[in-house]
Amino acid sequence: MATTSKNMNVFYRQKKTTATTSTAKRSTKNPSHKDAATFGSGTTQPPALVSHGGSLDVKGDFDEEEQVLRQFDMNMAYGPCLGISRLARWERSQRMGLNPPEEVGSLLKGGEVRLECLFEGRV
Amino acid sequence: MEVDSLDQLQRKQSTYLSFDENFEIQKEVYRGQQYSQIYFARLHMMRTLLYSLVPNWKSHLSVCTVLGLEEGKECIIVGTLYKHMKLKPCILDEYSKERSVAPLVKPHNFMHQDDYLVLEDESGRVKLGGTMLSPSVYVTGVVVALHGKETSAGAFFVEDVLEAGLPPQIERPLKSREEKYVVFVSGLSIGKSSSNPLQFQLLVDHITGHLGDEEEQGLAAEIVHLVIAGNSVEVSRGLLNGQNLASKDQSRLSEPFKELDIHLTQIAANLPLDIMPGSSDPANFSLPQQPLNRCLFPGSATYNTFRSCTNPHCFELDNIRFLGTSGQNIDDLTKYSEAKDRLDFLERTLRWRHLAPTAPNTLGCYPFTDRDPFLIDRCPDVYFVGNQEKYETRLVKGLEGQSVRLIFIPRFCETGLAVVVNMRNLECHALTFGTQFGS
Repeated sequence: MATTSKNMNVFYRQKKTTATTSTAKRSTKNPSHKDAATFGSGTTQPPALVSHGGSLDVKGDFDEEEQVLRQFDMNMAYGPCLGISRLARWERSQRMGLNPPEEVGSLLKGGEVRLECLFEGRV
Repeated sequence: MEVDSLDQLQRKQSTYLSFDENFEIQKEVYRGQQYSQIYFARLHMMRTLLYSLVPNWKSHLSVCTVLGLEEGKECIIVGTLYKHMKLKPCILDEYSKERSVAPLVKPHNFMHQDDYLVLEDESGRVKLGGTMLSPSVYVTGVVVALHGKETSAGAFFVEDVLEAGLPPQIERPLKSREEKYVVFVSGLSIGKSSSNPLQFQLLVDHITGHLGDEEEQGLAAEIVHLVIAGNSVEVSRGLLNGQNLASKDQSRLSEPFKELDIHLTQIAANLPLDIMPGSSDPANFSLPQQPLNRCLFPGSATYNTFRSCTNPHCFELDNIRFLGTSGQNIDDLTKYSEAKDRLDFLERTLRWRHLAPTAPNTLGCYPFTDRDPFLIDRCPDVYFVGNQEKYETRLVKGLEGQSVRLIFIPRFCETGLAVVVNMRNLECHALTFGTQFGS
């Protein structure tokens, strides 16, 4: 999930046990459920979406390079992405003359990115 | 006294080239992939080809994807056919609640008049209507281009079909050739109770020139190659039920191989020989079947004339291209489609440019990721299939001057018949061996 332990401190500040125990109880009812769809709720936004100084963090914990690779995974023109490594799929599309984007190829050969497609291990 | 005659017969020879690397899977690594990859490779290769043929077919129409179909607009779509068959056995039937008492005898042909065809590409699938495309002719896995339009019911009404057609063929050089013959045999089924060892021994003796007078031996000397197209041994089913074998049963298990090896040693000592695996041979089940292990043939594998080949098998002799299988591809087509003449199945696979279109749907197949090895990109001169019921042959002519000899090789244990092909003019005739003495 998106929130790191660092971020939790922003919303779960240590409170002294004062007479206002009821407020403390209410705040513990806002845990960040993984699938919380709390857009319409009156309570505060789940921590997942509000972080990094207030801007909406919809990307989660992967960066732009992974975004580019995920777009490559999802592109139907290069065939199914499951069951084949990203580099093998890129090389296959090259061999078939489909002209996959060079950027993807250099990212994959560079080697600091995930080499398996986004569904690998999850399906 | 001079025993050797001065004019000893020499066997003719021809140059041999093998094209089996495409069918070998030693370099493949299984990463848990499913069959979507091989279907994608097939669709991509065939679609690129069909796109190049469409302008010559109907140049005024545009090509679109299945998802891009507009109602009433005439266009061309290209995709893989899927045939929905009511009677096709489905693994999910085991879990179905309304399971009726399953028939113990499976039908030999799973066709039903309610079968319908669907065209599929990456974007979607559409049901096909109209009478142009007959579900009894086509099977799942064939890639075609269709001209038609979408109806209000959401189906695609087919007006015309474009198949890939015969692949291009390299012309055989027309220089005057010598008479050379290639012998094809299949279905020896050594080890089966009904196989007659004398018949095969007669074949071996004839080919190696140990039979007949000088004229016969002269004919035998013109045989340059022998191809055994599958099902050379048959191990009795009772030995393969998973239980531990007693030592006497173990020797029964290896007897067919020893007998085959003895025959093959006699052959390999005389002429080049190719042996292909078949459905009853100890090779892998799914296509492409890998070559039979050389340790099964301790005697014959020492000869360099002995070659263990894949199924399907592709080779060239003196620049004549031979392509063939041990029969599983055609047998599968007979279960899922029909034809007036069995040779039509063989011709269809050539026109669809695919050796086994029903793989991997109903025919076991290795899940290749980067290619479909069964695509036929060059038209063979001789296209053979082993283990068929009877000997049949036909010459097929293509639109660009291709000419292919189609051959069905019958099962030797049942018919005693081998097929001989003349390399000069690609005519073929049958060689029958009988062991019954007439009354």
